[in-house]
Amino acid sequence: MSDSVPHRKRSPSTSSSDASSKRRKSSKRSASSKRKDNEQAIQDDDLPNGEHHIGAFDRRRESTTRTARDPRDEFHPPKKRKVPKAARKEAQAPVNGTVVTRSPTPVIDFDGLSRPSAGTRERLEESPEQAAVRLDRMRGAVRTLLECVGEDPDREGILDTPERYAKAMLFFTKGYQENVQDIVNNALFNEGHNEMVIVKDIELHSLCEHHLVPFFGKMHIGYIPSKTVIGLSKLPRIAEMFARRLQVQERLTKEVANAIMEICRPQGVAVVMEASHQCMVMRGVEKTGTSTITSCVLGAFEKKSKTRNEFLSLIGVSGGRRL
Amino acid sequence: MACPLTRELDVAGLSTTCNAIEDSTLASAPAGSQNRLGERAGSLEDISSSMAANTNGEVQRLGNYIPQAEEPVSGGTRLEKMSRAVKTLIECLGEDPSREGLRKTPQRYAEALLSCTRGYHVDPHGIMNNALLMEEYSGMVVVRDIQVYSLCEHHLLPFTGKIHIGYVSSGVVIGLSKLARIAELFFRRLQVQGRLTKQIADAIMDIVKPQGVAVVIAASHLCMAMRGVQETNAMTVTSSFMGCFEQDVSIRNEFRSSVGL
Repeated sequence: MSDSVPHRKRSPSTSSSDASSKRRKSSKRSASSKRKDNEQAIQDDDLPNGEHHIGAFDRRRESTTRTARDPRDEFHPPKKRKVPKAARKEAQAPVNGTVVTRSPTPVIDFDGLSRPSAGTRERLEESPEQAAVRLDRMRGAVRTLLECVGEDPDREGILDTPERYAKAMLFFTKGYQENVQDIVNNALFNEGHNEMVIVKDIELHSLCEHHLVPFFGKMHIGYIPSKTVIGLSKLPRIAEMFARRLQVQERLTKEVANAIMEICRPQGVAVVMEASHQCMVMRGVEKTGTSTITSCVLGAFEKKSKTRNEFLSLIGVSGGRRL
Repeated sequence: MACPLTRELDVAGLSTTCNAIEDSTLASAPAGSQNRLGERAGSLEDISSSMAANTNGEVQRLGNYIPQAEEPVSGGTRLEKMSRAVKTLIECLGEDPSREGLRKTPQRYAEALLSCTRGYHVDPHGIMNNALLMEEYSGMVVVRDIQVYSLCEHHLLPFTGKIHIGYVSSGVVIGLSKLARIAELFFRRLQVQGRLTKQIADAIMDIVKPQGVAVVIAASHLCMAMRGVQETNAMTVTSSFMGCFEQDVSIRNEFRSSVGL
């Protein structure tokens, strides 16, 4: 598929001996032929120093921690059954007049993109009374915290703080209830554009899951489209959706990159985030000037250092710049 | 509802003198009615009284010590009670508190909150450490760009920024780091920025008894940047001028140009 190959030319191998480069190419061919999913064969490019990367286009980097989910939302692909059809129908027939029911549909996240939490379905489907009960529980918890800190929870300034804090926290975790497909809203266009597109300086505020203390900073997203271009505002919207959760900066970067990779299937995606963590500023080591930078590069950005370097120089991330 | 720490506070106003500072004996608090921390402008004797009532006369310095986490209260230790409350919060948010990243978060948050509110438990006498000196210098002393990270009492969200403190001495000079330590004593609490400014100014006015004190705080509030109106670039500036700063415009202007405001 010629339009999926990046327009930049392959860099020639600078290995000294032809024999060693031939050996490398033959070993790669056997590895690639064993790969199951070959819907888009990606040519592996040799980098000038002789290293090569396995194509990551058809394999997302999975997080080692499984996302907590409501068991009703687990997607189980249909398995091949050895039981004959007649026996299966017999097993499913209602017993004693009971009706066999299925799990609730549509399932919230069967494509593995939105990564909802265990309580997402509950929060989405709750009635106003249940929401009030939830808010009450949170108010009680915050009041306990205020007492234990040594404050008087009935004084004028903090009398309503439990309610304000509870509502603020529910706002900061609204990202769990959002669906990536709804956010993108079919804003994919066939432009035939093959150059790098960068949306930089997306301001994000998230909550560190270890301390429930905010971290905030800027995210820079770049991608090289292959067929479809995504509406520009969708990139910050996707970033915001994953940021409004209990997060770890590394996971946030990766989730945004994976989501964009899956949605518009570009030649490559690069996401860089630089943030300041209040858990490090306000407590613990108490270092104020530090900035944490994480990145996730997929596809063409991963394979070609030239592409990656072009992206990094265009977004201008440097250690000395204040947020 | 009575809190252990506020129960013993004196209703009296500010009355700290220079002599009282060098006297290391802490006054015991009369058993008064329940008071509210927010209504006074930071009486130092009240704070030291509450310290004496609750820690058997031990003086705690403002440092990395997180006070009273292991103190038994109804329902386990203080830390355990707070951890349970945070676990409830996490469940109500829809997350799974037993997944790997969140398993110890209740304890971490409880310790972080106690650490960020340790200003309630600090004795200013311990901070001062007799760092008041007789000096003939009568010019303006300005310590600027002191980092402040406090918690907004309305949303329990941080506000961070810089404090600039200036004073004109009347014969007594204070050790410079003590200004930053006094500021930390007050900002390590649930605060409102305006009240914080005034409390710091009042405290320095009491301890050092200078000709005048000026305190300016410029901070950005996460409660405004992360939620609600979501203004990320807005800064809030509050100031408190006392004594000669209040009366004389030229001294005020000199202070302002020193801190770059």
